[in-house]
Amino acid sequence: MLNQIPLNIFRLALLLLAQILIFSNINFSSFINPYIFPLFILLLPFETPRWVLMLFGMFSGLLLDYFLGSTGMHAAAGLLIGYMRPFLINIITPKGTEFEISPNVYAQGITWFIVYLGITMFIYLTLYFFVEAATFLNFFFMLLKIFLSTVVSVIFMLIFLFLFSSKKKRRFV
Amino acid sequence: MYNLFQFFLRYYLFFLFVSLEIFCFYLIFQNKHYNEVAYMNVANSMSGKVYSTYTGASDYLYLRRFSDSLVDENAKLRAQLLDSKYISKIDSGILRDSTLKNVQQYSFISARVIHNSVNEAANLIYLDRGRLQGVGKQMGVINANGIVGQVVAVTDNYSAVMSVLSKEFKVSAKFKKNEFFGNLHWDGVNSTTASMEDIPKHVPVKVGDTLVTSGFSQLFPRNIMVGRVKTVKMEPDKNFLEITVDLSTNFGSLSYVYVVNNLKKQEILLLDSLAH
Repeated sequence: MLNQIPLNIFRLALLLLAQILIFSNINFSSFINPYIFPLFILLLPFETPRWVLMLFGMFSGLLLDYFLGSTGMHAAAGLLIGYMRPFLINIITPKGTEFEISPNVYAQGITWFIVYLGITMFIYLTLYFFVEAATFLNFFFMLLKIFLSTVVSVIFMLIFLFLFSSKKKRRFV
Repeated sequence: MYNLFQFFLRYYLFFLFVSLEIFCFYLIFQNKHYNEVAYMNVANSMSGKVYSTYTGASDYLYLRRFSDSLVDENAKLRAQLLDSKYISKIDSGILRDSTLKNVQQYSFISARVIHNSVNEAANLIYLDRGRLQGVGKQMGVINANGIVGQVVAVTDNYSAVMSVLSKEFKVSAKFKKNEFFGNLHWDGVNSTTASMEDIPKHVPVKVGDTLVTSGFSQLFPRNIMVGRVKTVKMEPDKNFLEITVDLSTNFGSLSYVYVVNNLKKQEILLLDSLAH
């Protein structure tokens, strides 16, 4: 359990740098605005208490806001997915699944991850883009933007996961 | 009382969620109303340092393009020098240096873009120049191709610029050919176009007409390029033309910009207060 703390701190730093220096720096198009930073909240250990998930979601969001100049917006979205995470994991995981200590793409499988990341990122980006635009004008433009950004975010997140996940199946009792 | 306590204990997660969410939205709306306070955060030294370190490294990849654009610009400037103009009359009232000093209204501070975005609803650009180098709030920012934005926050060594690609940004622009002026603002969708407001229907506007700054806003000098008319629509139920403009600045590839320092601004503000 102890080595989870430095692991998650390292992951937070890596995701933050990747987000602000690569994904928020390269302007793909006005329809595609990928965010991989929420992966930090999504990869916290399964046993993390819900209130910790919420606080981490909010404070990691504030950290991103600090760099991107969008005070509070990523915090609100991060808090929401932190609150929803245990709920969602309960729904999408088949009964009797053996859990690793934290979500792992080799343990849970890629299908599980696509569903997991797809749903959370759709919720995250829906809240974020509508709050950012502060209007429901251009509704279909926004929907398309949310959809495309979700797809691209999930693809980049999966690449990140395959690059940085440990293949070895570990058993923590 | 006990029941109430039990109720809160059972749903404490939900109440925690709602109260934290309220706090986040409080931050967001405070940001919307007091932009300067929020932009202060992003112009601060910590995130400024991260961005300028990154830009320092990535600049090496673009050195050739930068030097090309600088050479182009030098060529344009050289063409404007008095030396390169043919003067037909000898001593026909060319301004001497001492008089030039008195008529200069604008000075320019060159700055490097260390962070840029075009896909957000309000796009911010960070520059590596700040208060110590003479940058102040409410100064305009231009580059070789056209207008870029307006300084909204300054720290000692960095500044944040609200780009033209922000819904709150408005600039007074005019048609080069007939001096009719209106407000240019961004429509929030495409990073290459903006729309022009307040042009009455009787004004003859053609696709391809050039728009330049009017100089009324004190942000930019007169006749800085803004863009060209892309489409003109005349709606029967409206009093004004609907014009979309192709912006001349390519916001996706900003590297070096100039901050415009209006030396006569104080005097114009004084005049403004006297007139009202």
